[in-house]
Amino acid sequence: MIALYLVAAIAVFAAIRVIIEKNTARKLPYTNVMNFAVAGALVLLLDHPLSIVAAAAYFVGSTLEANAIASTYAGGMKR
Amino acid sequence: MLGEFLHILAAATISWILFVTVDIFFRLPEAGGVSGASAVARDIEAGGGALAGGTMMGNIVCSPDASAGTLLAACGVYAAGIPGGLAAALMVFVGNRICHDPGYAGTTGAVLATFVVYAFTLVGFSATDFIAGMVIAILTIQGLSHTHASRLLDRLWRARQ
Repeated sequence: MIALYLVAAIAVFAAIRVIIEKNTARKLPYTNVMNFAVAGALVLLLDHPLSIVAAAAYFVGSTLEANAIASTYAGGMKR
Repeated sequence: MLGEFLHILAAATISWILFVTVDIFFRLPEAGGVSGASAVARDIEAGGGALAGGTMMGNIVCSPDASAGTLLAACGVYAAGIPGGLAAALMVFVGNRICHDPGYAGTTGAVLATFVVYAFTLVGFSATDFIAGMVIAILTIQGLSHTHASRLLDRLWRARQ
């Protein structure tokens, strides 16, 4: 039970850091922490063997989004 | 209550050592896998951090690495035992390919973590300890001080070279 509260608290903490941070690129590591915490909370909340699929789908999707934001911020694809 | 808390702290330490070792072994601080990872590294360096450490942090943001592998493997072991952990490793592998990551740090980390987490469940730990532990471990790298975390990773990277 402590695990779930701890993970949820870290998610909220990371979300606040994302909002406070001004630099776009430096927001992303905080977003990353939030995504870790949300993926962990998903599995801790859903008591089902397939919850791992939900967590992995959420995590890979959110990482891909962070990747896209960072690459766009870096100037997009060089042709 | 206190016992569970101590288990989580121990799991956090184990996960931290596991994912930093695997990431540094797979040379994540060397170069940005995608342009976005290099951009994160550049801005962390501009904020007073170290470039190699920033590059590793950028790579962690942009593709599932050993830290993501450890988290998802712990989730997999919690949900479905060793088969769950290996399923998580497969999903990390697919995630790496989707994120245009040429490396295998995530997949290797997930497979290793599956067996590490399972071994610790045999000696009184719970897989949930490792889920919370891994979230604490990533918080110490990505969520507290980018300057200090990147300098620490830079020092470890120099030691590996």
